[in-house]
Amino acid sequence: MTHTRLTRSLVRIGAMASKETIHILRDPRTLALALAMPVLMLFLFGYGVSVDLDRLPIAFADQDQSEASRALARAFEGSHEFHVVSHRAPAEAEALFRDGSAVAALVVPRGYQEDLLKGRRTPVQLLVDGADPVVANQVLTKADGVVRAESQRLAGAAFARLEPPLQARVWTRYNPAARSALFMVPGLSAFLLAITAVMLTALAIAGEWERGSMEQLFASPVGRLEIVLGKLLPYLVLGLVELQLVLAFGAVAFDLPVRGPGWLILALGLVFLIGMLGQGLFISVVAKNQLVATQAGALSAMLPSIILSGMLFPIENMPLPLQLLSRLIPARYLVHGLRGVLLKGNGIDVLWPDLLAMTLFAVAIVTLATRRFERKLA
Amino acid sequence: MSLAVTAVDLTKRFGAFTAVDRVSFEVEQGEIFGYLGANGAGKSTTIRMLIGLLAPTSGTGTVAGHDIATRPDAVKASIGYMSQKFSLYLDLPVMENLLFFGAAYGLTGKALRARADELLERVDLRGQGDVTTGDLPGGLRQRLALACALVHRPGVVFLDEPTAGVDPVARRAFWKLIRELAAGGTTVFVTTHYLDEAEHCRRIGLMVDGKLVALDTPAGLKKTWVPDRVLVARGRGLGPAGARLRAAPGVRAVAPFGAALHLRVDPAALDAGAVAAALTAAGGEAVEVEETAASLEDVFLAAVARGGSGSGEGPPRATPGEGPPKVPAGAEPGKAAAP
Repeated sequence: MTHTRLTRSLVRIGAMASKETIHILRDPRTLALALAMPVLMLFLFGYGVSVDLDRLPIAFADQDQSEASRALARAFEGSHEFHVVSHRAPAEAEALFRDGSAVAALVVPRGYQEDLLKGRRTPVQLLVDGADPVVANQVLTKADGVVRAESQRLAGAAFARLEPPLQARVWTRYNPAARSALFMVPGLSAFLLAITAVMLTALAIAGEWERGSMEQLFASPVGRLEIVLGKLLPYLVLGLVELQLVLAFGAVAFDLPVRGPGWLILALGLVFLIGMLGQGLFISVVAKNQLVATQAGALSAMLPSIILSGMLFPIENMPLPLQLLSRLIPARYLVHGLRGVLLKGNGIDVLWPDLLAMTLFAVAIVTLATRRFERKLA
Repeated sequence: MSLAVTAVDLTKRFGAFTAVDRVSFEVEQGEIFGYLGANGAGKSTTIRMLIGLLAPTSGTGTVAGHDIATRPDAVKASIGYMSQKFSLYLDLPVMENLLFFGAAYGLTGKALRARADELLERVDLRGQGDVTTGDLPGGLRQRLALACALVHRPGVVFLDEPTAGVDPVARRAFWKLIRELAAGGTTVFVTTHYLDEAEHCRRIGLMVDGKLVALDTPAGLKKTWVPDRVLVARGRGLGPAGARLRAAPGVRAVAPFGAALHLRVDPAALDAGAVAAALTAAGGEAVEVEETAASLEDVFLAAVARGGSGSGEGPPRATPGEGPPKVPAGAEPGKAAAP
């Protein structure tokens, strides 16, 4: 390609991109969809749909009725994670647990104080309502934290001389408070970027078909690839702005840390966005009208990024076919990558597979979409 | 005189359906070439093949000297195109539409600005550059679409039904622009189904069911396709008199037209005076008869009637030597209901 041909091509891409930018700026709905929605969603997910639970009702079946057992009860109450709804007989605790007034029951066996005083290891029994796995999981994590703290207190106290009498087995790192906001922000970023990128491009390109202006463009010297690039560029910028917005909001509202390199966040966001824009392009080329494109775009962007990305449901717990399917979902890699950079401070040495996977997806889908787009005559 | 557009046996099939069937024609530089036909007759498909949007199934063509099959990019750079639903960006301001299409054709900077201003002036949209395109009335939008198609000074412009859905006053103003364009040396290839507009064309190609059945000047078409003498009779008692005249020798068709009577007669056998005398003899009173010109509508109806009759001869051109085409009674121009 000679210099002048390249220059002319850039002029045409620039014309497409600046036209598209004016479209975006003149349409408050697009801007709102791209910028207000992320903040709103983050707010809802971060606070409203929080999976954080506090003051979990717990029944305390105290068979020991000693000073030490009451101290343990106070430790639970004092943690603010639990609310002790019963201090009395085990039978009552059992009933509360059964009818759901308590999500867990802690059974302190007879001889608890005795064992502690003699420096023996002491088991306490925790019954957990497993009907809601999310709740059950949190009860386990939080109870473990309380028991560990109590155990340390006992170890430091006069009447415990040997190793900590209550043993902690779980050690939560990176997000010690198990705050779902921290966990959710990376997932939400993937979800929001996927939706806006796929839907906006699908809409923008289906709009050209519907309006008939695509035919006008095809009759001009603007090449197919130039149309695609020019149309996608503004949305790429918009998507990156959106990502910054989500992370900034996460930092302000939820103390989201950024422990890893900033450029890696940008790189992850960029390749992910290119893939999503390609997906939107593909949908619009196939659908050719805005209604179908919107619906297909929303479905294909939303469902996988919620269900298969690991944003809400751990991929490790999925059945094997779904685990394999999730490998085809770019959102999975973005979620993993962002969690790595933001929470763990991972660098490219750890996260390169995520970057590579998303790059492969982006190249594949953009190639496919452009091919398909090129073959389609007016 | 050089040729702006040529088509040789241009054919487009979609599956079993032949949209354009071996169409051949030549359009001269600076000519207004009208391409006439009903919806679905193959007008738009022909244009799309010529400007490189559709690959012909067979046949060849050139536009502005460039082969449509081998040099589609050169074709695209040298033509302007206004598609059927003149596709402007309605959410953008008028000026942004012009600037976008200008840049798409490679104009930049001051040259682009200057050209855009010049075109706004030319299509009477001066001072409306900041108006949102969607707020313009249809007639002005269509002029803006023309301006967008002209932004790179193309030698040939293809206008596909540019006046569809536009009011008569705006249509007239638009055709004035087209004539000015042609006077400036630009070739205009325009499709329409408004037959009155087609009178503005220097030559007309008539498409019926994918075939180019006629190609001539408006006057030539009328002479070839409606060789009868067309007469208008006014007077009293013409209804029964006309009915009696219908079977008379030399009379081809009689149709009531409001209070008057339209007659088509063999010019060799009858003239206005003879018809007036015959009508008076048949019972008419105060009869006045005068000759009138055949309209393109008469031509169109005659052509459709013959094209639709499936005669199988498939004439790419109507040759005058062939003799007057038969016009079935159903295709009469005077289509007013019988009283």
